[in-house]
Amino acid sequence: MTLRDLVLIRLGVAVNLVIGQIVAALLLPVYLDSVGTILVAALVGPRAAIVAGLLSQVLNAVLSGNFSWLPFAVVQVVIALYAAAAARLGAFRRLATAVPAGVGMGFVAASCSAPISYFLFGGVTAGGVTLVTTVLRALGAPLGVAVASASYSTDLLDKAIACGLVCLVLRSLPRTLAARFPALAR
Amino acid sequence: MIGYVPGTSPLHRAHPYTTLALAGAVLLGAFALTRPLEVWLLVAAAAAFAAAGGVLRSSARTALLLSLPIWALLFVLHGLLGADPRTTVGPLSLSLPGMARALVLGGRITAIVLGFLTALATTSPHRLVEAMTARGVPFGRTFLLASTLTVLPRMRERAAQILEAQQCRGLRLGGSVLARLRALGPLALPLVLGALAEVDEQVLALDARGAASAARRTALDPPPDSRAQRLVRVALLVLVVAAYGWKFWKMRG
Repeated sequence: MTLRDLVLIRLGVAVNLVIGQIVAALLLPVYLDSVGTILVAALVGPRAAIVAGLLSQVLNAVLSGNFSWLPFAVVQVVIALYAAAAARLGAFRRLATAVPAGVGMGFVAASCSAPISYFLFGGVTAGGVTLVTTVLRALGAPLGVAVASASYSTDLLDKAIACGLVCLVLRSLPRTLAARFPALAR
Repeated sequence: MIGYVPGTSPLHRAHPYTTLALAGAVLLGAFALTRPLEVWLLVAAAAAFAAAGGVLRSSARTALLLSLPIWALLFVLHGLLGADPRTTVGPLSLSLPGMARALVLGGRITAIVLGFLTALATTSPHRLVEAMTARGVPFGRTFLLASTLTVLPRMRERAAQILEAQQCRGLRLGGSVLARLRALGPLALPLVLGALAEVDEQVLALDARGAASAARRTALDPPPDSRAQRLVRVALLVLVVAAYGWKFWKMRG
């Protein structure tokens, strides 16, 4: 791994952890805690993005004290791999392709996070997702259906916005800066 | 309180890998245990771990604060909305299997949080970096661990400045979800683009400090390790493997 990769990983982790501050100020019903991972995947590839995703998950747990989020680190790995593949296919070149790619990413991420949430934590992970699960359960949905519905509904929106945002970042990069990332030229 | 608490307890003096191995064993053990009694014995073990580190009061208080909302949700989701058979406690009709599941899940989360809060409170980040350097861990990994924590406050400060600056320029943070979503770009783009523009400068600074060198670095003050501590780490590994073996043996039976 090069020094540039290391610096970009650090940047990706910081973006993952800090963007929540902006989301909280805007009172948006999403997390956007994988924008940095997707950005690193698009700029330098899957290896650095996986490290950024895993480190974000660990530091998020360390800083918040909620270590029960650690098993969800596998979701960050999946996001990194998907984002790198999407970037290779040029999905982040236009908003019209980035948002559908984000919906696909949300589907894949929810397919990983819902079983972890259901089998390891009984659907309770102390996030906004759990409130949706509780409401659905109170309305009569079986627990598995409630957990899966809550995960899919939140992840589809979250990742679609995250991918749209990464597309905007990449399109706003000045040419001199973009030229330093060979992966963008592909 | 979340973070390192200076002290002289056995855990503070232990090799950082031993403390982290204890927390890791609690994490892995929590998912291997499936009965309420087993899981709450693990919570007791995590509490003993905190007591050995002299941080029981602060770690238990923080763990309780972090776990309470989870317990409340578990009570509603499994205790109140769980499957039959049910029992009546005062005005409440509680699900018996749901309450048992809530006890397992709640205990699992409490044990994990308590174990890691204790490890965090008794492991000095400086000693951890020194231990990693002494073990020949490549510079990149120690750099990522140590420097990301230092860059976060700077990024947070910058995010707050951008928020204020854009509000001064007339950006409204309220309104419909769509309006708030539109405000995301003017707030997030300067933050990310600004950080990307600094990448080359940071690479040069690291290069100038010899970060690209593959030579093994010398730790100035490596924490002492011992045969007993290495044995403890191996014993923890054996315990975790045995716990999973026991779990899968029960599942087959």
